[in-house]
Amino acid sequence: MEYEYFANQALHKIALEKKGDRFIVHYRESSFEADIIIVSDNIYSVIIEGRSYLIYIAREKGKKHIFLDGQSCIIQKPGQEGRRLDRGEDRAAEGKSIVKAPMPGKVIKINVSEKEAVRKNQTLAIVEAMKMENEIKSPVEGQVKKIFVSAGDLVDSEKPLLELEPK
Amino acid sequence: MFKKILIANRGEIAVRVIKACQELGIASVAVYSEVDRASLHVQMADEAVCIGPPPAVESYLNMGRIIQTAHDRRAEAIHPGYGFLAENPDFARLCEKEKVVFIGPNSRALELVGDKIRARRTMEKAGIPIIPGMKSVPKELGTFDEEARKIGYPVMIKASAGGGGKGMRIVFSEEELRPSLEAGMREAKAAFGDESVYLEKYIEEPRHVEFQVLADNYGHIVHLYERECSIQRRHQKIVEETPSQALDPQLRQKMGDIAKKVLDVSGYNNAGTVEFLLDKNKNFYFLEVNARLQVEHPVTELATGVDLVHQQIRIASGEKLSLKQEEIKQCGHAIECRIYAEDPGNNFLPSSGRILYLKEPKGPGVRHDCGVYSGSEVPIYYDPILAKLIVWAETRESACQRMKSALDDYVILGISSTVGFLKDVISHPKFREGATTTGFIKNYFDQWKGKEPGEESLKLTLAAAAFDDFSRSQPLEPASGFREREELSPWQFLGKWRIGGKA
Repeated sequence: MEYEYFANQALHKIALEKKGDRFIVHYRESSFEADIIIVSDNIYSVIIEGRSYLIYIAREKGKKHIFLDGQSCIIQKPGQEGRRLDRGEDRAAEGKSIVKAPMPGKVIKINVSEKEAVRKNQTLAIVEAMKMENEIKSPVEGQVKKIFVSAGDLVDSEKPLLELEPK
Repeated sequence: MFKKILIANRGEIAVRVIKACQELGIASVAVYSEVDRASLHVQMADEAVCIGPPPAVESYLNMGRIIQTAHDRRAEAIHPGYGFLAENPDFARLCEKEKVVFIGPNSRALELVGDKIRARRTMEKAGIPIIPGMKSVPKELGTFDEEARKIGYPVMIKASAGGGGKGMRIVFSEEELRPSLEAGMREAKAAFGDESVYLEKYIEEPRHVEFQVLADNYGHIVHLYERECSIQRRHQKIVEETPSQALDPQLRQKMGDIAKKVLDVSGYNNAGTVEFLLDKNKNFYFLEVNARLQVEHPVTELATGVDLVHQQIRIASGEKLSLKQEEIKQCGHAIECRIYAEDPGNNFLPSSGRILYLKEPKGPGVRHDCGVYSGSEVPIYYDPILAKLIVWAETRESACQRMKSALDDYVILGISSTVGFLKDVISHPKFREGATTTGFIKNYFDQWKGKEPGEESLKLTLAAAAFDDFSRSQPLEPASGFREREELSPWQFLGKWRIGGKA
């Protein structure tokens, strides 16, 4: 059985082969034998060459959250990768013209108006969630092209707040 | 002693108080907002009443509704937890008027210490050291410019009614002052319903050291030593410990005595915490009184053996304090890590949503005060604290190791949390040295990112994902351990047993 997953910003192929009560795992150039049992719906116990691992797993549509050795990781089915994984650099680039809500919350204040010139790092809007105010700063120097929300609106994560025209 | 107590809070602290009630044989009444129907505190309490829509002002801050609920359920006392109504003198006064015991200080003391400016004046008069700064809230914004120049930059904006970092801002220059004031006032208004702010000299490289104090209704006051809470982000504590590495026995005694004096001059009763800033040269300044049970109270409980919530309830019911200062000892070392629903790799932005899976760490010397469970939803409306992990060990070094191991064992899937970040904080050489100041996170963890899994972990993670898809596509024979557990059916145990008949 072959499987494909998206993790660590890359696509990975892995194959499982059932051999008696064990599994042979084929990954990249190597293979190894694993003794896997289901402890509960969320826990697998795996023994590989005498080393014992406890793996925790939780499922969401198109996604698996897997915890192993003190670290958790999100695995996605191909075609479903995207929004949440591409935080950071990609988002900064894409976010240059559309400024989005970083988390679900309530718009407290819009500090700028359409056509207004803005400096880099100037506060554009304030979004509050869980009792903390978060200042949304301008990623670029430019001009406010359009404002999509107004004070008092409840917004979801990634909801466009305003559009900028970089200088 | 009370027969029934209403807990006017939610989350881990409501659970903590309900447990104390159970231990003391007191019935508990939980109140909840519409989004909290499935919350742990609702499940655990003996009685539960919905008090309104999700926004806190319409539910957990709705004084009239809460008092009415106490009357309806015949609760004799209200425990406010921390946050929400815990330090609201109007609420304490309303309780007094309605003959419901408020488990906390009397309304006059609450009013005094809650008004940071008045408290500063009172303390200064009593000879208690305070941070240089304003002693009144100015009516005009313009006054702040002048005051800030007088005090000298950097200055700290603080909410007069505040705490918990809300409304607080450090200002380094004159041009930052106005926008920071506006933001601070708005935040103060939203958090406390009062927009008054004032300025103080910003002390650089300070440690935050606070003393836990208990005072009964008859003027007997004891302190239960210090907690060091210097590890903060956004002026909010995330790691606390006791004892502090910065105090020696002499300084400890001096600060403890002053902490008791602070409560004495305030006419204070019940549990309170006196916060101090300790500068590089071991000068300490009174900051404020936290007139409530603190988030970090468990470290004191583990190091002194005193149950602070029991004490609060006993004091409120009119019992005399049975603790004597000379009998209270610090033993070993305790550390607390706060588990928040936040993304530490992304500026600590709050993270709401469903907790898909939670496994609480266990083991000798490990305590977990928790308000959530596998499958619970974290709403956007309230403080993002989920739980607190607290450890105790003989020495600081072994407490750090125990905390690290407990954090390694902490599984929380589905939302971002501070667990991975805290692991790195606890493991940091400067933390291990005890070199903790309030700038610690900013200095060493400014651009922190969670580690991506290494090659080996990734291989196993992918194998687990594949196995998961495989086993869920075709029913696999369960492992023996799983099967045996299923066989533990009462029908197999009970043997010859018939309904309505004799065995």
